[in-house]
Amino acid sequence: MSDRTTWLLCTLAFVAVGGIDSASSAHSAEYDFNRDIRPILSNHCFQCHGPDEQKREGGLRLDVAQSATATLESGAIAVVPGDLHQSAMMERILSDDDSLLMPPAEINKPLTETQKEILKKWIADGARWSDHWAFTPVSRPDVPQQNSLWIRNDIDRFVLEELVQHDWQPVEEEGPRILVRRLYLDLLGLPPSPAEVESFVHDDRDDAYEQMVEELLASPHFGERMALQWLDASRFADTNGYHLDNGRDMSAWRAWVIKAYNDNMPFDQFTIEQLAGDLLQNATETQLIATGFHRNHMINFEGGAIPDEYHNAYIVDRVNTTGAVWMGMTVACAQCHDHKYDPLTQREYYQLYAFFNNIDEKGLDGNQGNAQPLLRLPTSDQQQRLSAIASEMTALNESLGQVSDGPETEAATNNIKEQLASLQKEKDGLESAVPSTMVMRERAEMRDTFVLERGQYDQIKDKVVPAVPSFLPAIEVQADSRQSLNRLDLAKWLVRADHPLTARVAVNRLWQSLFGIGLVKTVEDFGSQGEQPSNHALLDWLAAEFVNPSVEGLNQPEIHAWDIKHMIRLMVTSATYRQTSRVSPESYARDPENRWLARGARFRLPAELLRDQALAVSGLLKQNVGGPSVSPYQPDGLWQELSSRGDSKNWTAQEFTQSHGDDLYRRGMYTFWKRTSPPPMMTTFDAPDRETCTLQRSRTNTPLQALVLMNDPVFVEAARKMAEKVLQEESTSRDARLSLAMQLVTARPPSATELEVLQRMIEDFSKEYADAEKAAELLKVGEAPVLWQDATELAAWTMLCSALLNLDEVVTRN
Amino acid sequence: MMNTVHPMIRAMQRRQFLGQSATGIGLAALSGLLSRDLLAANQDSADVASDLPKGLHFAPRAKRIIYLFMSGGPSHIDLFDYKPALTKVHGQELPASIRMGQRITGMTSGQSTFPCVAPMFKFAQHGESGTWLSELLPHTSRIVDDICLIKSMNTEAINHDPAVTYIQTGHQQPGRPSMGSWLSYGIGAETDNLPAFVVMVSQGSGNKTDQPLFSRLWGSGFIPSQHQGVRFRASADPVLYLSDPDGVSRETRRRFLDGVSDLNQMALQEYGDPEIQTRISQYEMAFRMQASVPDLTDLSQEPQHVLDSYGIKDDGVDGGFARNCLLARRMAQRGVRFVQLMHRGWDQHGGLPKQIRGQCSDVDQPAAALIEDLKAQGMLDDTLVIFGGEFGRTVYSQGTLTADNYGRDHHGRCFSLWMAGGGIKPGISYGETDDYCYNIVRDGVHIHDFNATILHCLGIDHERLTYRFQGRDFRLTDIHGNLVKGILA
Repeated sequence: MSDRTTWLLCTLAFVAVGGIDSASSAHSAEYDFNRDIRPILSNHCFQCHGPDEQKREGGLRLDVAQSATATLESGAIAVVPGDLHQSAMMERILSDDDSLLMPPAEINKPLTETQKEILKKWIADGARWSDHWAFTPVSRPDVPQQNSLWIRNDIDRFVLEELVQHDWQPVEEEGPRILVRRLYLDLLGLPPSPAEVESFVHDDRDDAYEQMVEELLASPHFGERMALQWLDASRFADTNGYHLDNGRDMSAWRAWVIKAYNDNMPFDQFTIEQLAGDLLQNATETQLIATGFHRNHMINFEGGAIPDEYHNAYIVDRVNTTGAVWMGMTVACAQCHDHKYDPLTQREYYQLYAFFNNIDEKGLDGNQGNAQPLLRLPTSDQQQRLSAIASEMTALNESLGQVSDGPETEAATNNIKEQLASLQKEKDGLESAVPSTMVMRERAEMRDTFVLERGQYDQIKDKVVPAVPSFLPAIEVQADSRQSLNRLDLAKWLVRADHPLTARVAVNRLWQSLFGIGLVKTVEDFGSQGEQPSNHALLDWLAAEFVNPSVEGLNQPEIHAWDIKHMIRLMVTSATYRQTSRVSPESYARDPENRWLARGARFRLPAELLRDQALAVSGLLKQNVGGPSVSPYQPDGLWQELSSRGDSKNWTAQEFTQSHGDDLYRRGMYTFWKRTSPPPMMTTFDAPDRETCTLQRSRTNTPLQALVLMNDPVFVEAARKMAEKVLQEESTSRDARLSLAMQLVTARPPSATELEVLQRMIEDFSKEYADAEKAAELLKVGEAPVLWQDATELAAWTMLCSALLNLDEVVTRN
Repeated sequence: MMNTVHPMIRAMQRRQFLGQSATGIGLAALSGLLSRDLLAANQDSADVASDLPKGLHFAPRAKRIIYLFMSGGPSHIDLFDYKPALTKVHGQELPASIRMGQRITGMTSGQSTFPCVAPMFKFAQHGESGTWLSELLPHTSRIVDDICLIKSMNTEAINHDPAVTYIQTGHQQPGRPSMGSWLSYGIGAETDNLPAFVVMVSQGSGNKTDQPLFSRLWGSGFIPSQHQGVRFRASADPVLYLSDPDGVSRETRRRFLDGVSDLNQMALQEYGDPEIQTRISQYEMAFRMQASVPDLTDLSQEPQHVLDSYGIKDDGVDGGFARNCLLARRMAQRGVRFVQLMHRGWDQHGGLPKQIRGQCSDVDQPAAALIEDLKAQGMLDDTLVIFGGEFGRTVYSQGTLTADNYGRDHHGRCFSLWMAGGGIKPGISYGETDDYCYNIVRDGVHIHDFNATILHCLGIDHERLTYRFQGRDFRLTDIHGNLVKGILA
């Protein structure tokens, strides 16, 4: 190619791409089908000219080259590669005649001039289609040949490659104090103590940071931090969700998840055990507990409801959740019709449905708690006593048989019968107190599955059997006597090394949790309507590394396939992660969402972590892992106003009973989650309602959040205990106390100007709380005892600590 | 430690960073990011006439909504849909030609007999419109010329959870945004001091063992959560966590906020993240709410005759509905976009005559007073008021029919509700059911049609108020909804 041609092409590319960030096209030749063309066709055309056969107009589908370039019923050809004038699609798009214009006005999706120009250019250039990026297998991209002292691992080479192409550069590394807090919050969800901060700051080893990463990955709180997102994904809650919203207990499953992350269970095993642990040979109790993932959905027992309708809803929920969590697919669309944007047919939807349609469950259940099928989990005490009762009863029954006839034996018989009755009563009582957890269990006889017309549970059409969508790799049929595929086949298929979606989708979520936004922003949609990856090569490299790890480091534990800790280690030890989140106005304006990663991520903490942090810095936090859900402070009457009934006593989880003592101070992830009235502090800070699978929380910034942080008793009490801690630990001077308080919440001492503000505040507060009565009132909030004698001093410092807990830097992971 | 980057590169980066950030982000530039309009729906600018406020597709007839939701399914047969012919078939089996094999709930599907029940309440005509109403609604009878009575509402749902979720979110299964959150997202609030979307719940005195409500009914689904409804409660804290703890005076809070704000300003200089400026503003709004909300809920500012007109009782017999109606008017005056009242207790499976009397005595006077009050304030023209539940009730008796007692099961095939105010034709009845109040014979209004029409009154095209989630542009009306032109003024 001559220089002249190259120049021309570049100019053309610039003109054509116009409105899009033109820099993004600088490297690749002009435009990319998947990045620039498919999204236009998908969003504006596929609705009538896409995968959905029923709604396809004029026999034209634009998602497949063959159809788009063929002669249509009308005789026209939509796309004639290289020939704009013969391409009916272009003619219709550019038409002045409203009756001919595409897309038609009534679908409310007009094309912009820029989009029209790109399409023109694409057709003129020969209209080349390529397969949707996310449905093609991952092939490990070569690591870019970027060399810079900034680089710490291969992630940085991919990031730098993009930045260089954008004539941009990374920023400096964040200072050690902010960095250590960032890492603690990301990996444990807890802030570092001042001592932990100092120890890192003064650690002179070259690999001090890497050592800290290893310590945190080994902490039992790592599993809690990771599980938090998985609870959202699995729609975990403590109640059944519909109507009267009775209680349930899935705490054993929650504990399983935490332990799985702590044990660094490979993600393929993590997948298989949760989707199909019950179908594994000689399944263990923990593998059965794992299957609770797909029992976490809502369950109904509304009087008068029709069981089939809800049974259908449960299975639909499982299919949609599986699609979103493992495949990043919006399969729900195909419940009623062929998918409008992705090549998933309605029939294929119900083939997936068939995998989940054979559970030994009822359509209406859960009126008193966990719904069948369930696994009983007696404590060892309960187990012992139950065994003892069983043998006593056996013995008594035997003696009953041996009693010979005669008048004197009647009394003996009655005696034995009384003992038996009493034991039976004890057994019943004990059994009803035995905890359980909901699990998956197959029915003996396969339930038939049908395509449902418009998704209606009572409108059955063709019978289908379990199968996977044809546009994805074929499923391996087990060589055994089974007639049809089951969930275990499905689970194994999802984690095949060549599945194009599972690894990409999973590493993208890990990325989201550490960088605040996924490489694919639409974490739940990798389909045609989803966003293109901001750094496709990096995403694919991470996916490949997840399935087949090749990177080795010094002093690291052994790395295995689907190794979550390995991926997190790679991400958090990259220079990309370690950048400062401080941003110049120019940089911010250029990339407000930080998609190019030219700075560190900065975002507000999730609801649970705000609570955890306040409890941690005040010393109130109870750090035991797992266990039943607890009910910390909540305003009176919240549940009652929505659902009080004369017969409330007949149901569970109808009346809120607040916990006391240690249970007030557990991490937010253990707070009892009533779906119809979730903990208000959590929902105010964007926690989802846990009714359906959530993979991405919104991150809002509202006045109601300010009210929670200022006035929710948990935060006022934490401020008081934090104040006590400051007063106790630092008795030397006011400024030293102010500095300690600041360090507790931000991991750094205050600057001189900040100290001035803090001094002013503590002076003001000290004056106001010289009034002992006022001080005593403030100190009444919360059940933790007041330990500091000087009430006026404590009240003033309580207010100061409360102010610190409200700072933007404190509610934010910087 | 840690410093493995070449010192020169580091120094360069540092200089560059300092140079760029020395002035911080200009506050003027930020102000655009802060306005509530940022939260409003993104509209294709070509779609919107330039003189319309953001989010509107055409000139609105109503600026706000007060939605009096009657949870449980009030009996259209006993209240609104007068069928004199029913007395002739009272006690007789519902003909198969009327029932047409339609699905019914598990509560009555096992009944061996389906005897028709004529209402045991008298109906009379009222107003110039001559609208027929039950004697249970003497106050509503006064305002019939201001309301539009729709008798042909219909829904596919036959149980409470799905039916209430359906009418409030446009979908029977959970997960979609509620109507109020759509409006908050679409057009925001008219005020900076109060939320766009407020919900108030009250207890029915006619039926104490009634259907529960769910926070999803005012949830925001997949729309960002700042659009969820804010529950106002009849307690000392009308909004959760509004009040400062005891021992914190207004002055103390002001000093507190000044300090927090000063420190946050420094963080803004340091980090350059506009989110910090937003947080500073939100704390100021929280402080303003701490004054504006108590002012709003302080009914002692209202003259006695107004309190009396609503029938506000100190003993709480009305379950709080009367008080909530007056609060709704005060919220409307202060710029709240969508006020949703939810009154429980309308599920009359048995003991209907006694229960429905109690329910009507809770709501009849306050609802009528609200219309008259809005009219007196000159606000009825641009306030849309809605009164109705999630479905109607069966013409046949649930349980045994006796001389003075009967019950009715859920019925979605037809039900009645009324609308009044901004954009709605007053003094008309719309739609018609058969002689059994069982099937619609003319002008059916599906709940999607109803919701489309509500949005229309607010100046919103229900097909164009969309939110992209999981690749799809979702709407309140899903893929349905036809404007009910016959009720538009």
